[in-house]
Amino acid sequence: MLLNSQQCDALRELGNIGAAHAATTLSTMLMTNIEMDVPDIKVIDISQVHQYVSDELAALVLFEINGEVSGGGYVLLHIPKNSVIRLTNAMLGMTEEERELTEMDESALLEIGNIMVSAFLDATAGLLNIIMLPSPPSLTIDMPHAAVQSILASEGFMDINEVVLFRTELRSDQHKIINNLFLLPNEPMLDEIVSMLENLLITASEPQDIT
Amino acid sequence: MSKEQPDPRTVIIGIGEYQIGKTPMSSIGLGSCIGLVLHSRAGGMGGMAHVMLPDSQGRGDRPGKFADTAVEILVTELAAAGCRTSQMMAKIAGGASMFKGFSGNLNIGERNADAVIAALNGRKIDLVGIEVGGTMGRTVTYYPELEGRMVIRSADGRIKEI
Repeated sequence: MLLNSQQCDALRELGNIGAAHAATTLSTMLMTNIEMDVPDIKVIDISQVHQYVSDELAALVLFEINGEVSGGGYVLLHIPKNSVIRLTNAMLGMTEEERELTEMDESALLEIGNIMVSAFLDATAGLLNIIMLPSPPSLTIDMPHAAVQSILASEGFMDINEVVLFRTELRSDQHKIINNLFLLPNEPMLDEIVSMLENLLITASEPQDIT
Repeated sequence: MSKEQPDPRTVIIGIGEYQIGKTPMSSIGLGSCIGLVLHSRAGGMGGMAHVMLPDSQGRGDRPGKFADTAVEILVTELAAAGCRTSQMMAKIAGGASMFKGFSGNLNIGERNADAVIAALNGRKIDLVGIEVGGTMGRTVTYYPELEGRMVIRSADGRIKEI
């Protein structure tokens, strides 16, 4: 097992703060309320990834995590295909839904990704008192399972049998837009983040000196 | 069949898994992974593996996960089920490179394809169908009872059969 339940809770709280900041930026860009779920954290066998990540077409914006943290990891912004046009329409002030994606849409998706993921990593790293920065993004319109699988098979992840699946859903009910933020740290990065969180909890629970 | 009616018996082969039998088998969203089919020309049966990495480096706990051990386990189990190696043919799909420009080298797809092909050559198994590389994800379904058809659906919606 990669994580015990206490560590999952700590990670969920960390993700909650990060995702809330990402939601705020999305809310500002779209000038609408954004609803957000508590992050979903599961430790699953690689053979079961298909139960949580589908092959239904979506816009996928991928960032590598850089900065003062060991190991490696990725943040993946996942926007289901039927939300993509509504999202870029809301951002670009357009209304036509039955249209092809253009370069404008792609730029908008990269920009939304940049702003949301920067906010997510800033808030997360701020809590841990470190610096985490996103790499330039890479956008593809493809199958989410294929993207997650490619990440898990990459060198940074070595040879894993289990993965921590960390997902937060952000929604705009007004525009009928759904998107998901996935955090995919490799094991060294996960270990370091978890031990930082544990140190934070210990410090926070120490009796205060009130003399 | 132009309209694919999903067969309710279809078994999903997840990352690193394999299976042999007669019922349809499917792997969804192959990126750099390879869907490897070994089909026996006799008996309407065969096996499929969802290969994730090129080399087991001697590890045997998940034979379906690596190119070398996946070919071996499918050959061994099909032989145990009465299929002759000389009757077997292989089909492969996947091995895409979806993201470029990251330091983590996400381009494992090509190495996976090369390793699977090398392992098949080593066992002198005919590779009769190949649909690898590119930048797009693929979902594959293998029908042992329909002469080993392998149907490949790409992320752009195109459907191809090998």
